[in-house]
Amino acid sequence: MRTRLKAFAIILLSAVFVLGLAACGGGKSSSGGSSDGSGNAGGTTQTGNSGSGGPSGGGSQETVEIRFTWWGDTARNDLYNAIVDRFEEEYPHIKVKREFGGWADYWDRLATQSAGGNAPDVVSMHQFYVADYAARGALLDLQTVIDSGELDVSLFPEAALDSGRVNGTLVMIPKGITMPGWVYHTATLDKLGIAYPDINWTYDDLIAISRQVVEKSGGTMWGTPDMGGGQLQPNFRYFVRQNGEDLYTEDGKLGFSRDTLVKWWSMWKQMRDEKLIPDAATSAEYDGVPLEQNLFVTGKVALYQIPANQIYLYEQQFPEGEIHMVRMPSLPGGQNGEYLEGAYLSITAQSKHPKEAALFINFFVNSERSLELFKVEQGSPANTDMAEFVKPLLAAPQARAVDFIQTVIPYATSAAYAPAGATEVEAAFKDNATAIAFGQKTVEQAADDFLAAANRILGQ
Amino acid sequence: MNPKLINVLKRNAVGYLFLSPWLLGLIGLSALPILASLYFSFTRYDMLTAPDWIGLDNYREMLLNDQKWRNSLKVTLIYVLLGVPLQLVFALSIALMLNRGIRGLRIYRAIYYVPSLFGGSVAVALLWRQLFGGEGLVNLLLRQIGLPGHNWIASPDTALYTLIVLKIWQFGAPMVIFLAALKQVPTELYEASRIDGAGRWKQFWRITLPLITPIVFFNVVMQTIQAFQAFTPAYIVSRGTGGPLDSTLFYTLYLYQKGFTHFQMGYAASMAWVLLIVIAFVTAMLFLSARKWVYYQE
Repeated sequence: MRTRLKAFAIILLSAVFVLGLAACGGGKSSSGGSSDGSGNAGGTTQTGNSGSGGPSGGGSQETVEIRFTWWGDTARNDLYNAIVDRFEEEYPHIKVKREFGGWADYWDRLATQSAGGNAPDVVSMHQFYVADYAARGALLDLQTVIDSGELDVSLFPEAALDSGRVNGTLVMIPKGITMPGWVYHTATLDKLGIAYPDINWTYDDLIAISRQVVEKSGGTMWGTPDMGGGQLQPNFRYFVRQNGEDLYTEDGKLGFSRDTLVKWWSMWKQMRDEKLIPDAATSAEYDGVPLEQNLFVTGKVALYQIPANQIYLYEQQFPEGEIHMVRMPSLPGGQNGEYLEGAYLSITAQSKHPKEAALFINFFVNSERSLELFKVEQGSPANTDMAEFVKPLLAAPQARAVDFIQTVIPYATSAAYAPAGATEVEAAFKDNATAIAFGQKTVEQAADDFLAAANRILGQ
Repeated sequence: MNPKLINVLKRNAVGYLFLSPWLLGLIGLSALPILASLYFSFTRYDMLTAPDWIGLDNYREMLLNDQKWRNSLKVTLIYVLLGVPLQLVFALSIALMLNRGIRGLRIYRAIYYVPSLFGGSVAVALLWRQLFGGEGLVNLLLRQIGLPGHNWIASPDTALYTLIVLKIWQFGAPMVIFLAALKQVPTELYEASRIDGAGRWKQFWRITLPLITPIVFFNVVMQTIQAFQAFTPAYIVSRGTGGPLDSTLFYTLYLYQKGFTHFQMGYAASMAWVLLIVIAFVTAMLFLSARKWVYYQE
């Protein structure tokens, strides 16, 4: 009786520690494996190594498995699965394993997989992240598969290919070219009795319309979400480019002045103080929610910034009315902010089957069987023949998106890629913008703190 | 070779053979990765290129310059210092209630244990967003009784406390252990004390609590270690940001961001080692203090 309690406690303790050990062991094993794997990627034990026989030739071929990953919502997942199915029909000896997730999760997972030496063969890539991967040698030089004939880019305009080059090396091929803009929902503005903005509107127009929205809705709506913080592009980037600067210089330093940053944050602070945009807590709550739940779709703001290829996704959310897009607000007397954007495909340097991966990309961006489904899912096809091919297939909102992209592309000028460490700079930008919103820092303080942090990150 | 030593080896060879699966596992799956992480903590390592030896720079940067690191440590300490005691008090109270010979004890015990099973899960963290969001259930109730709502999860001054409430709500595991301990307390002690005129309150402080201190100690140690390593609730509730304004940036979440979002695995490894030292120190302090208050009936 006396020692029972003690014995009980001891057994319990030892049981938990043993279990704990087991759990630790399990957890560590994966991270350990990853550190080992980065050098000489272990894992798949397939023997179909490239080099043995060209893939274009007929006859018996060994079955090869490649992996393809993308970001997006459920509708896009269905679509891309269908494209991959068609690819597998056409190339029966290649199996494609699919992996997908939402935007934020996608990048976390890709980083983890790359580190673990088991990144997919074909990965969806984006301008904002490409430098992080390219600078570290994680992406294949696509010229190799163009030279060997698996990938055909003869119908791609030079500008489109250029947008996939980092330091002169072609590391990604555009699935689609898109441009960002601001959207409004016609029925909502009609109901409020507010005139539609002009395609060449300005920041002053943005503020003026926001005032009308708040006034005419009786305070039940805001003009726009708080776009002062969050991601560095496109909103802030357009603003700095309009001021004749850019986010980064070609040699990877910060490319804009404190003055520009202070102007930007002051503008949004003024709108926040005037209650034209949501308070800090509301903004934080809606930060990162899926499309169906965001401030625009739920009718809490009248203006919103999205890439043009998403116009049709937004139009689906409203029972009536149309989604129209105008350019990013312009700065009177300033320069054009536009630069080419899009969603891209890359092959990872670790891929054991770069030729098959290249065949897949080739099918994805160059074949009618694929583009018939893709249409303008992540932007207008960069292959000029394919861009013509999809035109008659488009629904009204998609055609509107293509029109918008074509109207705006002529304004685009080249833009430097983000250097390695850009994600951390963006985190500092977001933190400081949030601190202003919550009233914890003045605009000037936040600007100083951000610049100090960013220079420290990029100086390393 | 010494014949004695050979004999010993021979005699134990079979034993080691039987142990070998576990030994291999220990070395391959635990020891080597742990050593690798120690090595990485002295390097700049982006996971895609080879690590680059930088000595103590990671530690120096962390301890001297990194405001965010300091903040994450503070957030985690608040979480541990408030969450663990409150959770244990709650668990013990429920265990005491359930220990009064009520009917259907097993059902209640199961019901109260359920939250712990879900506790670390994504579903509950998502549920928490719904409960404490601007249009959440909590605000709905507050408005019903005429109080102003508050955006609990999205405000830097309250976000962390919603996570502490979540921690308290997951009281099932310590509760079940308390319940088992309460059943071990000899009933004759209660009978004797009742004859001597002790009330329930006095019985609790003089008999129950002293006799279950080993279990209290056990729960404190385990929950403290767990709380230091909490990750899922903050990750899900803040959507991986640790926001608003880093108010829910747990140590592990910041470590994760450094390693997997910012490609600084070397720095993340050094953070993990500092966390290990912090947890080891706190646990050692708990064990030292145990001499003063844990009673083993001997």
